[in-house]
Amino acid sequence: MSADEFDPMIERLFSRSPHLPDAALFAAGVETRLDSGSRIRTLALTLAGLVGGVIAVRESLNLNLNLGNGDVRPATHAIQQGVQVATTDLSGALVSGLNQLGLADMSLGSMGGMQLFWLSAGLLIALATAGVMKLSQEG
Amino acid sequence: MAKSLMDLHDVELAALAAAGGRREFGELVRRHGSAVRGLLRRMGAQGAEADDVAQDAFLTAFQRCAEFRGEGTFAAWVKRIAARLYLKRKSRDARYVAEIETEEAAPAVDTPGLVDLDEALKSLSETERMCVSLCHGAGMSHPEIATAMNLPLGTVKSHVKRGLDKLRARLAPEPGQYVPGRDGRSLHVG
Repeated sequence: MSADEFDPMIERLFSRSPHLPDAALFAAGVETRLDSGSRIRTLALTLAGLVGGVIAVRESLNLNLNLGNGDVRPATHAIQQGVQVATTDLSGALVSGLNQLGLADMSLGSMGGMQLFWLSAGLLIALATAGVMKLSQEG
Repeated sequence: MAKSLMDLHDVELAALAAAGGRREFGELVRRHGSAVRGLLRRMGAQGAEADDVAQDAFLTAFQRCAEFRGEGTFAAWVKRIAARLYLKRKSRDARYVAEIETEEAAPAVDTPGLVDLDEALKSLSETERMCVSLCHGAGMSHPEIATAMNLPLGTVKSHVKRGLDKLRARLAPEPGQYVPGRDGRSLHVG
């Protein structure tokens, strides 16, 4: 048999694979590893979310910036103004959301601007973590 | 009416798996698991090692399922992933020997005319077996094999040619040809 005739024969022989008797067991093994990988990923993301949440809460409780301090440098002042604007926007959004929900009487007055900011940031982090977890479970 | 998994084409299953469908991917594993494991065994991997690498290959394929565009067959795509993973493992274990002079092929184990491909492959050296399996089993080109095995292109071509010559001698011997038998003695093909 010449090489020209033999090469296609080899291709055909290679393309024929015997069906192994433990094929179902092998497939089950792969599915188990897929599931366990997904569980580990979920656990890691949950842990990361918890750590992030704890840090956010701790910051919201401990931080005591004086936004009215006039001695700060211009760059810091700009950042503080940005934070103030963001806090005002978030407060406005939160109040209007509460109004829509019929909770207009709920008092947020006891919370400071920065505390409200960090609380909102914490909520956003928690939402983002939940979204990532959902995506990773689908992926 | 919704199709059952068994009615779906590989490309459809792969698309669903790319969107996170583990059941769909499980069906692909059931369909092509034996082919991937078979290729790894033909490359020289032992049973448990072949299964480990095949599992890793399928897990990699699941993560990269979105990259499968259906240009070739799904089985061929996973086979290439598996072949590369096996080569990586071999080079990491430093058991892979590039020099053909240092290799010894396993003795032939069957009578000419009655051997199948798996038996015939055992008469090749490790590198010849690997090169022939990558070329004809995983569908890799000679340059791809050279890169994956870190061998010169000419060396890969030599291994493939020498391996095919040996396979031809065992699988399709010319009348009057002498081929090595199970005990090392030559057998005459009439």
